[in-house]
Amino acid sequence: MLRIENLHAEIDGKPILKGLTLTVSAGEVHAIMGPNGAGKSTLGYVLGGRPGYEVTEGSVTFAGEDLLEMEADARAAAGLFLGFQYPVEIPGVSNVQFLREALNAQRKARDEKPLSGGEFLKLARAQADALSMDAEMLKRPVNVGFSGGEKKRNEMVQMGILDPKLAILDETDSGLDIDALRIVGDGINRIMRAPDKAVILITHYQRLLDYVKPDVVHVLADGRIVRTGGAELALELEREGYAQVAA
Amino acid sequence: MSTLELPSPKLERWRWADLPALQRAAESPRGTAPDLDAALLPLDGPRLVFVDGAYDAERSAPGPVTVGRRAWTSEHPLARFGQLEGWALDLGQEAVTDPIQIVHLGSGGDNHLRGFIALAADAAASVVETFVGSGWANRQTRIELARGARLMRSVRLIQADGFVSIRDEVDVGEAASYAATFLGAGGMGSRIDGELVVSGTDAYAEMGGALLTRGDQRQECAVTVRHAAERGTSHQTWRAVAADQSAASLAARVDVARGAQKTDGEQSLRGILLQRTATVNLKPELEIFADDVKCAHGATVGELDNRALFYLQSRGVPRPRAKALLTRAFVADSLDRIGQEVVREAFVADADRWLEAAL
Repeated sequence: MLRIENLHAEIDGKPILKGLTLTVSAGEVHAIMGPNGAGKSTLGYVLGGRPGYEVTEGSVTFAGEDLLEMEADARAAAGLFLGFQYPVEIPGVSNVQFLREALNAQRKARDEKPLSGGEFLKLARAQADALSMDAEMLKRPVNVGFSGGEKKRNEMVQMGILDPKLAILDETDSGLDIDALRIVGDGINRIMRAPDKAVILITHYQRLLDYVKPDVVHVLADGRIVRTGGAELALELEREGYAQVAA
Repeated sequence: MSTLELPSPKLERWRWADLPALQRAAESPRGTAPDLDAALLPLDGPRLVFVDGAYDAERSAPGPVTVGRRAWTSEHPLARFGQLEGWALDLGQEAVTDPIQIVHLGSGGDNHLRGFIALAADAAASVVETFVGSGWANRQTRIELARGARLMRSVRLIQADGFVSIRDEVDVGEAASYAATFLGAGGMGSRIDGELVVSGTDAYAEMGGALLTRGDQRQECAVTVRHAAERGTSHQTWRAVAADQSAASLAARVDVARGAQKTDGEQSLRGILLQRTATVNLKPELEIFADDVKCAHGATVGELDNRALFYLQSRGVPRPRAKALLTRAFVADSLDRIGQEVVREAFVADADRWLEAAL
């Protein structure tokens, strides 16, 4: 589904990713762990297509297409979802308006019929319910006045509505208490655990992995994958620390 | 009109005015007036139609509004043009529930018209004005609100080209309420000039709106609110969106007189540049001679938030549409104050059309 080869990327001339290679197949959950500053969030932004991140070398293929050639909205329409570590507040734009606009733009790009207001609301309510989010919050401006946990839950509601093929979730567990962590973990499993879908969980800690069992765990350090293993690698990292494992 | 005596741009109050555009509009030839239907809002109330400043009785249903000569004078430099022709709404102690709709169709050249609104104690009315077409439309409106009177005024400038100049002189009496919203979303130049005097205690005055400019267009507002009595409240919420090489200028002033204690005056002037070649000028001013007042003012100019743009885009919203959503949200709070839903939606739709075209 996703093939990253020797990816080099920099911000303002400063190299962050230094030859990252990673292949994710359909039906898999990959965890990318690593110390602060290793390039975890940069990887998410480069894959999402954020302006300002310059790819200097390497390639990324998503569902057979050159991902790096696509605008961010085209990547979304192709089935990529980036869960933000810090979801952005957008005053004056309601969740409902934003998500209906987003979903119908994606559907249009895929030559599908747009959803009517009624159809969309039904879908949005169902996804909010599944994540124990008050449907009233859908009417509020995007993330404005939401707590850290509510913002992360809102990311998952968006993921449920947009129903992507590949979700890249950047520190989705940060800022969550234990109940919210379980709800979000269940949400990821429900929405994304399918033979034709895949997940990349970018995380600093093991705790989310108690709820979403990874098939493959990678350690990212200094812009490269330095170790790859099964779920047990995450436990080893938790026990012994990055310095030990990444060395 | 080749020798118009216009104010000098050296005067501080006129430094951002696009007087050359006004002059060009005044000298433009008369042509065919635009279609009325396209300019009409679906409102059932009284309606007045002016074509190049002349009353069109056939297509009007003036209700309580009278048309004719009004002998009121203004010191304003643009008030010296034209005759003292105009319309007047003189209400006793009554409420006109349906908004009064006034449409100005311009075909070119200059046209001048006075407006007069006097609301007696506890009277209430709502007036919506629309400017379409071309040429220089020059308007002065005198508004007097007696004790407890309430006036809602909404003005949209959607002329294709030319110039619209508006001068409002408003006296807000005791416990009266005046709320005016302006939208400049056409291709014309404009100057929205206002002087609001809060002359009675516990009165409320508001003047705000949105100016959207593109190409080499220039629009501006120059508004002064004078608090002359105690416990008055005023709001000036203006938004400017400038694209291409255009310029939008917002000058808003609050004066609080010596005795006007417990005044609450608020100014919010914000601008967004859609391109770095565009200009937004902001000039918030406060002059306070009372010692127990609350006056807040904010003035910011910036670009659209790149993080928000990327967030929207990452969910599948194409970039131009993401820009339109953010700009619309930016403009929205300046149009929120329009009371009637039909009117508010029409203003928002005009702003949307402008954004679709500009982005």
